[in-house]
Amino acid sequence: MSRFFHGDSSSDSSSDEEELYSGDEATKAAEAESSEEDSSENEGDDSDSSSDDEGGKTGASRFLREASDDSDEEDEDKVTVVKSAKDKRFDELEGTIRLLENAQKISDWNALNENYDRMNRQLPTLQRDLDGKAPKMYIKSIAQLETQVMEAFEKQKVTPKKMNPIAQKSMNALRQKIRKNNKEYMTDLEAYRKDPEEFMKEDVVEETAPAPKKPKKKLLDNDTTLDANDEGFTMVGAGGKAMIYTPESILKHLRTILEARGRKNTDRLEQIKIMERLLDVAVTDYQRIRVLLMLIATRFDLTSGTGSQMSQEQWKLAQQGIAQLLDILEEHEEIVVVDSGAENPEDDEKAPEPSIKGVLEIPGSVPSFVERLDDELTRVLQSIDPHTAEYVERLQDEPSLYSNLVRAMLYTERLKANDKLTVPQPQESINRVIMRRLEHLYFKPASVVTVLEEGTWKSVPETLDSKITPRSEGTDINNLVQTLAVYLFKNAEGIIRARAMLCQIYFLALHDQYYKSRDMMLMSHLQDTIASFDVNTQILFNRTLTQVGLCAFRQGLVYECQTALQDICGSQRQKELLAQGLQIQRYSQITPEQERLERQRQLPFHMHINLELLECVYLTCSMLLEIPTLAQAGSSPELRKRVISKSYRRMLEYHERQIFTGPPENTRDHVMQASKALAAGEWKKASDFILSIKIWELLPDSEGIKAMLGQQIQEEGLRTYLFTYAPFYDTLQVTKLAEMFELGQQKVTALVSKMIHHEELAAALDQVNGAIIFRKGVELSRLQSLALTLSDKASGLIESNERVLEQRTQGTANAFERQGGRGGRGGRGGRGGGRGRGGSGFASRGGGGQGGGQQFTGGALGSAIRAQ
Amino acid sequence: MAAVLPADAPVRQVQLSALVVMRLIKHSTQIFPTPATGCLVGMEQPKTATLEITNSFPFPASNPDNTASVTTSNPMDPYHQADQLALALAAPRAKGSVSYQNEMIKYLREVNVDAQGVGWYVSCSMGNFVNAAFVENQVFYQRATGEQSCVLVFDVGRSSQGSLNLKAYRLSKSFMEAHKEGKFTSESIQKSSLRYQDILIELPLKIHNSHLLTSYLHQLPNIPTTTDSLTLPTTIAEIHRNPSLASNPLTPNLDNLDLSIDPFLEKTLDQLLESIESHQTEQNNAQYYQRSLAREQAKVKTWKEKRASENVLRVQQKQTPLPEDEWTKLFKLPTEPSRLEAMLVGRQVEQYARQIDGFAGTVTGKMFGVRGGLVPGEGL
Repeated sequence: MSRFFHGDSSSDSSSDEEELYSGDEATKAAEAESSEEDSSENEGDDSDSSSDDEGGKTGASRFLREASDDSDEEDEDKVTVVKSAKDKRFDELEGTIRLLENAQKISDWNALNENYDRMNRQLPTLQRDLDGKAPKMYIKSIAQLETQVMEAFEKQKVTPKKMNPIAQKSMNALRQKIRKNNKEYMTDLEAYRKDPEEFMKEDVVEETAPAPKKPKKKLLDNDTTLDANDEGFTMVGAGGKAMIYTPESILKHLRTILEARGRKNTDRLEQIKIMERLLDVAVTDYQRIRVLLMLIATRFDLTSGTGSQMSQEQWKLAQQGIAQLLDILEEHEEIVVVDSGAENPEDDEKAPEPSIKGVLEIPGSVPSFVERLDDELTRVLQSIDPHTAEYVERLQDEPSLYSNLVRAMLYTERLKANDKLTVPQPQESINRVIMRRLEHLYFKPASVVTVLEEGTWKSVPETLDSKITPRSEGTDINNLVQTLAVYLFKNAEGIIRARAMLCQIYFLALHDQYYKSRDMMLMSHLQDTIASFDVNTQILFNRTLTQVGLCAFRQGLVYECQTALQDICGSQRQKELLAQGLQIQRYSQITPEQERLERQRQLPFHMHINLELLECVYLTCSMLLEIPTLAQAGSSPELRKRVISKSYRRMLEYHERQIFTGPPENTRDHVMQASKALAAGEWKKASDFILSIKIWELLPDSEGIKAMLGQQIQEEGLRTYLFTYAPFYDTLQVTKLAEMFELGQQKVTALVSKMIHHEELAAALDQVNGAIIFRKGVELSRLQSLALTLSDKASGLIESNERVLEQRTQGTANAFERQGGRGGRGGRGGRGGGRGRGGSGFASRGGGGQGGGQQFTGGALGSAIRAQ
Repeated sequence: MAAVLPADAPVRQVQLSALVVMRLIKHSTQIFPTPATGCLVGMEQPKTATLEITNSFPFPASNPDNTASVTTSNPMDPYHQADQLALALAAPRAKGSVSYQNEMIKYLREVNVDAQGVGWYVSCSMGNFVNAAFVENQVFYQRATGEQSCVLVFDVGRSSQGSLNLKAYRLSKSFMEAHKEGKFTSESIQKSSLRYQDILIELPLKIHNSHLLTSYLHQLPNIPTTTDSLTLPTTIAEIHRNPSLASNPLTPNLDNLDLSIDPFLEKTLDQLLESIESHQTEQNNAQYYQRSLAREQAKVKTWKEKRASENVLRVQQKQTPLPEDEWTKLFKLPTEPSRLEAMLVGRQVEQYARQIDGFAGTVTGKMFGVRGGLVPGEGL
């Protein structure tokens, strides 16, 4: 309280009393376990609100104190303050007065009136505390109020401007009340009016005098304990209790914090501060590890909510904490942190004993920490706008995270090899860490990974090396990913294995090894089972498939590329399938819960596959396949129905419907106009359109890809031309064609031969004269095509009829076939019987007879005979 | 026809006078492709169970020049034809036509012509006459003028191929009964065991010439005299110039040897495909109904179970049980679509199939003839 009023220079006559009072309480409770709830319960107030208040006040008071420049009180700076009931009443009064002042400033008479009443209600109890005297600030405020009311009243008389009736009423009431009320405090008011400064000052002196005494006294008290050990440290804890952090009490404090963990109203920041101090105090590695484990966990707890992300500062501290933990663990091989098989000793007093084999086991999980660290970074990156500097800044934390991952991997690896542990460590933890490492590698180009790896190995102590990924082989990146994936194939199962496989395929596809990645993709048979995996793995699958498609495109394999991308790009849901942004679908109703989950799944921006590039590649491939097909189909309705890419067709139709088409603006326009040109046989124009798309620059070796595209367009243009214009030709010179499409004669001959062979073109190649001779009248007549349609339709009709029948009879099996069925069965039975009888008549009375009998009677009787 | 003529039917065959045939052909070809409709008059001969049709007159609505509404409308209007089609098909039932018919019959009686309305006629193209309007018309006639009334169907398209195509139909008794009930749900169809083959009954047709006409025909130049040595024509022009072929209307002409079956088959196939399509639509409707019915029934079932368990609880608590038949108010079962359309489509498909069969039959015969002519050495 007193601290609070320093800056205000208001009065608190009995702050010394109060301090002593709380001091007493503190000494009483010094030995007992202290918590904030306890003291607030004593005050018989609502514990929730009070503790909240205190949190706020601590901050504010601390701030004021620094301004007061009082060196003696430094020690108390960061202490949680617990206030007595009286203090609170003062606070309330203060709050009310502030409200009053605010209302005065804006002349809100209604609020003034209300607050005045409230202030008067609060007064009696305070007067009781102050031996019947009114608090000084009260006097001050009522004095100010009176003057203002008088002024306002006078002004009201003079000016004709009417006040709001409610305000008018309130003001009159207030005036009456003030007049009546102020009589009681006549003397005080006069004193205040005479010299406000003096009136308030005497109080300040009164108050500040005892303040410095108290902490001194406390410090002296503490000195006795401090003497005992040099490193000892004094803190004034909750409720003004002294918190003494000694190496001995570390574990006890930890226990307290552990118990408070997860509870409501636990101030985690406070706990972190305590633990930071504890860490400074800790002497043995055991203690340090214990504190670190707790500290890191608490840091992660700070943002356990769904909406919040870890601040960079906290994240870095957590990262450093983990690094420190790993440092210690790397240095001291006799201490290990294990997932299972160890328990914290119940008795904090005794020093922990190493197990029989000389290893001190501490429960905890390094892999979980690293995983959590990774998750937190991902969450942060998800929430930041990727085009800001902040994103890049946070992304720069990745190498340190990665080095943590590698070190954690080394550690778990060592742990696995360590045979001194009471319980052998599960394979799973090492798998998890390796998986994380792989997930940080698979989407990056080799050059980036090389830099990352080099940096990481530098940060790892020289003495350490990994069996799985030896330091010496760190430079060969392809090999690294391969090794990690292979390790997981061998040792992991289920989802991790599938993920490892996908990561490797992705990496291979990224590095232009199409056939290898395709073979692996097919051999994995993941496409059959992917639906049963979790959503994140499905997303990874989609990403991998997309990457394989892009890889095929870079290799110039148009058909393969189109087929691979078909599912992802043809669905209009690329964003959702690749988890690269939410797609608001107009007619879908997703609950906020689903949307939240969806948001959590999103990939950070630096992992994205460029969607525009993807669309461009897909559309270009579709164009190269669709345009010749469309030309081939001509006007035949049946062939026209064979659609390669539905979305492309839709776009093309839309584009064709447009009355006026301006110059192309985006990728889609480019491709569409190119399609139009290609369909008309103008391959040069089409090629110009396609090659002027800027996005090709994003691909590595864009020149090569452009050359490939040009070549493809020439070839497909030739095919389209032949399909479209073949009916108008009798013969066509190969050289002429070669000239038209600027292709080699050999190439043209090859293409034409291929078309003839596939029966796409009714023609023959005259090699002597170098000409193509077209045959006429080989197309179906209208009647023939109609007849074909009819046969299709009729079979469809039969099918649907059968389906209906099936539907009707599924409950009562062969209800419809009863008559026919019986006839059939009877016939079969008769035939069987005949054969049976024949058998028994013909052959000797041996097995033949028996067989015949069985056939004849069948069923139960047959088995009875067999039993005989 | 599949439906067999019942033995006790009042009329077992139809006798047409040549006049009616000629009038029918004239009217139908005149306003083709709009279907022509008109009224038939004649009398019934109960003794021989024959319906004699002696005269006919067209309905005014089917003649576009007579109706004001049609003359004012733009003939280029794409809906014009569809309008006319509907109008023409609805003509026999229209109120105006009925009064017109009565008037006409009155006048005919005055000139001493058989004055008894015995049915109506309609023209079609390639057998596309089986539809709802056709059935409605015939129902109307069979109700109004008795069971004996029949409909003559003249197929313009097929007749142009060379042989007259005229058929007489009547609706079957079972169909009439079913139609009386007014609904064609699967249940009622099952009960009456009505099949699409049973809708129409075809009557045998006989063309009768009056004695006067027969004597006139006998006066016409005779069949060309058969000479022993046939001088075969060398060019088509020679055939056309042949006086005995050009001047004699009764000599077999070359039209009968026409082999171009394609246009007819194409047209029929087109129509067949159309019919199958509409059949599919009908089927989809039925399936949709089935699905929604199943859904509703499941709802009702769960509701009933819930109510039953509630009632058990209420009985235990000694409360009066809630009524269990409230579901009729709460749930509305979907109404079943009429199956009549599906049946008619079935009948129509059958009609087309028969037609194709017929074409193929005659053309195959001609083909053999051609083969015999081309390759004299072998065959035949």
